[in-house]
Amino acid sequence: MLAKFVVRRFLASIVVVLGVTLITLLLMDRTRGTYVPGIDLNPALRPEDIARLRTNLGLDQPFYMWYVTWIWNVAHGDFGRSMIDGSPVTSHILDRLPNTLELTGTAIVVGILLSIPLGVIGALRRGSKADHALTVVSVAGFAVPQFWMGLLLILIFSVTFQQAGLPWLPSSGATSPLNGGDLWDRIVHLLMPATVLAFFYLSVWSRFTRSSMLEVLSQDYIRTARAKGMSERRVVYLHGLRNALIPLITLVGLELPGLVSGGLVVEVVFGWPGIGRLAFERALQYDYSTVMGVTFFATLLVVAGNLLADVLYAILDPRIRYA
Amino acid sequence: MAGGAEATGAGRAAASQEETKMSQDETDDEKAFALFDRFLEDWSRRDFIRRMGATAAWTAFSGGALAFLEACAGGNTVGETPKKGGHVIEGNFSDIRTLNSMLSSDTASNQVIGLMFDGLLNVKKNGDLIGALAQDVPTVSADGLTYTFKLRQNLKWSDDKPLTADDVIFTYALAYDPKYADVSSPRRGDLSKYIASITAPDPQTVVIQTTQVFAPFLGSHTGYGILPKHILGTLSAKEINTTDFNSGPTVVNGAFKFVKWEKGQQVTLARNDNYWAGPALLDQYVYKVLPDSVAVTTQLKTGEIDIGPVDPSQFDSVKTASNVAQVEFPVPNFTFYAYNLDPAKLGGKLFADKAVRQALLFALDRQKIVTAVFFGHGSVANSVEPPTSWAYKEKPQVLYSFDKAKAESMLDGAGWVKGSDGIRAKDGVKLKFEMITNAGNKQRESMLTVMQQSWKDIGVDATPKLIQFPELVSQIVSTRTFDMFLVGFNWSIDPDEAPLFHSRNTVAGGFNGADFKNADVDKILDDAIATLDKEKRKQLYFQFQDIMSDQVPSPIILFNTGIYGVSTRVKGADFGPFNQFANRPWMKDVWVTDGK
Amino acid sequence: MIDPGQAIASDLPAPAFEGDARRPAQSYWNESWERLRANRIGIVCGSLIVVLALIAIAAPLFTQFLTHVEPSQLDLDNTFKPPGGAHLLGTDELGRDTLTRLIYGGRVTLGVAFLTIALSLTLGTGVGLLAGYYGRWIDDLLMRFVDVVLAFPAIFLFILMAILFRPTPITLAAVIASVGWGGVARLVRGEVLSVKERDFILATRSIGARDVRLIVRHLLPNVLPVLIVAATLGVGQIILIEAALDFLGLGIQPPTASWGNMLTNSQSYFFHSTWLVYFPGITIFVTVLAANLFGNAVRDAFDPRLK
Repeated sequence: MLAKFVVRRFLASIVVVLGVTLITLLLMDRTRGTYVPGIDLNPALRPEDIARLRTNLGLDQPFYMWYVTWIWNVAHGDFGRSMIDGSPVTSHILDRLPNTLELTGTAIVVGILLSIPLGVIGALRRGSKADHALTVVSVAGFAVPQFWMGLLLILIFSVTFQQAGLPWLPSSGATSPLNGGDLWDRIVHLLMPATVLAFFYLSVWSRFTRSSMLEVLSQDYIRTARAKGMSERRVVYLHGLRNALIPLITLVGLELPGLVSGGLVVEVVFGWPGIGRLAFERALQYDYSTVMGVTFFATLLVVAGNLLADVLYAILDPRIRYA
Repeated sequence: MAGGAEATGAGRAAASQEETKMSQDETDDEKAFALFDRFLEDWSRRDFIRRMGATAAWTAFSGGALAFLEACAGGNTVGETPKKGGHVIEGNFSDIRTLNSMLSSDTASNQVIGLMFDGLLNVKKNGDLIGALAQDVPTVSADGLTYTFKLRQNLKWSDDKPLTADDVIFTYALAYDPKYADVSSPRRGDLSKYIASITAPDPQTVVIQTTQVFAPFLGSHTGYGILPKHILGTLSAKEINTTDFNSGPTVVNGAFKFVKWEKGQQVTLARNDNYWAGPALLDQYVYKVLPDSVAVTTQLKTGEIDIGPVDPSQFDSVKTASNVAQVEFPVPNFTFYAYNLDPAKLGGKLFADKAVRQALLFALDRQKIVTAVFFGHGSVANSVEPPTSWAYKEKPQVLYSFDKAKAESMLDGAGWVKGSDGIRAKDGVKLKFEMITNAGNKQRESMLTVMQQSWKDIGVDATPKLIQFPELVSQIVSTRTFDMFLVGFNWSIDPDEAPLFHSRNTVAGGFNGADFKNADVDKILDDAIATLDKEKRKQLYFQFQDIMSDQVPSPIILFNTGIYGVSTRVKGADFGPFNQFANRPWMKDVWVTDGK
Repeated sequence: MIDPGQAIASDLPAPAFEGDARRPAQSYWNESWERLRANRIGIVCGSLIVVLALIAIAAPLFTQFLTHVEPSQLDLDNTFKPPGGAHLLGTDELGRDTLTRLIYGGRVTLGVAFLTIALSLTLGTGVGLLAGYYGRWIDDLLMRFVDVVLAFPAIFLFILMAILFRPTPITLAAVIASVGWGGVARLVRGEVLSVKERDFILATRSIGARDVRLIVRHLLPNVLPVLIVAATLGVGQIILIEAALDFLGLGIQPPTASWGNMLTNSQSYFFHSTWLVYFPGITIFVTVLAANLFGNAVRDAFDPRLK
């Protein structure tokens, strides 16, 4: 039964990916009008040149023909070439995807590592000043536009620190132009953008951990453990926290699909060479092939994440398999 | 004659005023420009340019005001000894697209390509041509059709192979030879039309023959980076479009060679010791991609970049940084708006009458736009040619000051009378239209807002509409459903403006989106490129500017200036109107004070 | 006929101890309202939102009596004036009054937020109700469609749709709603599924009540609490999304003012005229904060166990 369930969900996932890519192409084609990707206001271009370019890019055929050709190629692992610069789309994606994953992955890890202690403190010291302070900070973090926070951080930690003679953080990019690339260099570049992203997760997860802890700590088995004479620390951390974390993991899991595209604004603010920024820039230039390739990958990740989650739930809860 | 052996040739027979009055050799030029920069630093830039006009500043300077400047400039550029070694990081907004000189069409790519591949000729910052791979600027044959280039001796590629005429022929063939018709070169249009043949009587000589007398040839078509035939010669046309060489040239002939391209972040280049002009002083050069103009300011201040273009709104902020100096100079660029004159469109009905076009221009306080929107970094434009051009006419036939009363009376006289709602109308048609420009350009957005307000004051209803850049290009070039568009344009050295104003470019795909058709203008433009007599061309272009000032199909709002921030540790940067992007023969002489 | 109000009351937790009869049993809605009223922070924040909305609606009154300028009125001689005097909050790069633009910008931003919520809730609830109630192939079909919408990397969809529909406040609301309704549909469907099996539904059906009546009169009220919480928490999120889209250049285009694009535009002048950055920034921050706190209060009011 499990196998049948997995197969059904897998087929459904394929439909979803196809649906998303089709809609993407539809939207791009509608808005492109007569524009041929890569054309600038270059007076040296002649009408014949533009026409030839259009044919070479395959844009003189109806969009569904282009789509079918694209699907056929993708099935063979060929994502085509960018319409703007002629480089293979896969090279663009493989160059950028790790950067994005590095950014969002770090933010999630940092978010988890900070949320747990903050949530636990809030639950244990419920109603105290510390609790209220934490609540305010986490709710406030949720209320600031990401790009604004990013720009403020740059202003403080790049410009002001540098002018004050303090050690300062680089304001853009993932690595330094020369002699960069080592771990320390990457960490230094990662600090600010990951903080901005993590802030967002932190706000939600710390509050969630707190309420989850509160709920768990009010359970009977906790009272029993205390009555049996177990030390408070063991009660809280061994029994309480472990059980409180399970829903948190679920919540974190919900964020995984956003791993690829969630960091777009941060990527733009910090000039981070990620896949979100690539898709954004290329979409505005009507670089069909690149945008389709990126959307495909992003959707694939989302769908794979969902499928994985569904399979896990199905294993844990047999009722769902028969739904 | 200015520049010694450099500015020779019948093609430049009539020496321009600048040339005769310019100092005798290159070092003087550099010193002079350093002084000019210093001069601008010490005096309020806005005041000077506004009072005297960019072109007056230019001609005053080049008109031999050197002594005056020397006296005023105070302090002097002490001759420091250039140090070898170190790096320079330059920042800009767009990532490069390709590193193939015949395929690139965007400024960013051209800039980086220009450091790796030299062409036959190069350009000094005042527009003078100098020899690059070719020894000298050639003299054209008596019939005006044949140019003979003599390549320098012992030219070598970075892999030690010799660079010969074959490489030159191969490079140009990519754009005009039918065998390479599938190569997506933006150069094809002009080259295939105007090149009749390219031959090599011997390995050191290239003979190019044009199909007709074509004046812009030397200025506009001799700078293309020469590509290595021994690497690319065996590829088919389609393979040339997609070869890895385009994203990582393995062999170069310029001052720097390719190291790596981290997509979306930076391109790194290193010194090429085989460069014909001698090895560059720098070890490395990096082209870094930045998010926006505020990032340029930030990174100039922190020192993350050494050179970067400064947006007028950031000028004052960069000025406060002690580690950055700013250079400002007029550029062959202007911002203009165009009326849609197609009789089948709304614009055609509204703007067909010349009086309406002129009146709308009279109603704009363009000086205020320069002051408020560009923070004074620019000058009101009187003419259709940029002030950096040798064909510029400072006071064409019709001049437009800010005169609201005159605008109103002209519109009244033309039959456009204010209705009860305050909007003018004629024969039941209201003077109401939309203006488009591209989103994301703060100055253009602000300009449209100012135009809207200025015209509202005289009873004209104009609404700004921001669209994405590709759509704007599409509108100008094919769809053309606009009433009015606002855009900026970059010109090359040659004063020819046929792409914008010749009636043959009104067909789909051409840039004459305003549908401007004037037989006199057509003839002038055609005649002006068909002669190599500079004085004759100048007279023709003077007539052209007179007609355009009267007809105003595309009123020019202002002439921009180019502003660059340069770190104080960088010496020898020699920015100018014509060599700020692709042509940078001075780059090899750039050095850094800390040698790092 | 079984009254759902009474039936639901029986679902509430039992009184704290035997014989506790200090208050008569109230309906769920009344109890929730009581809890909300007792939450001081929640009430303050809710009131703030209401006040902001009223100011936005009454914008022309403010320009007439308070600031005396139109939001689009340029004054090129008085650009970058600091706060004070005729311009309470200073002027921007074209001499426009910041306070006036902030008020009119509120119209746009809050208008987009409320309209987006209205649209996404309507569509999401409709789909969720139908899918949850009818089940089987309708459920499959509708949920597959929802899956596609949810699988779409939201920000990519924004980019594409912003290019397609030139962003006016109304089309922008539609674009943002087109991404958000999927989550609402899933939420509603979940609620419907859990309520569907309850006794009173089965009983009502067995009596022969028509589908529509069942859905509207019985299912919908049970789903409302979830919707209200989603709506109040959503307001803040949508304001931030609108600001992010403005930053990317895909939101409300100048010269129309919105809080988001005022904040974005002012970035270039940060070193120059810092107040231009702070005013829209603080306005957004305070509004979103208030909306979030109010949303939390509403959620706590409906389900105190989570407090």
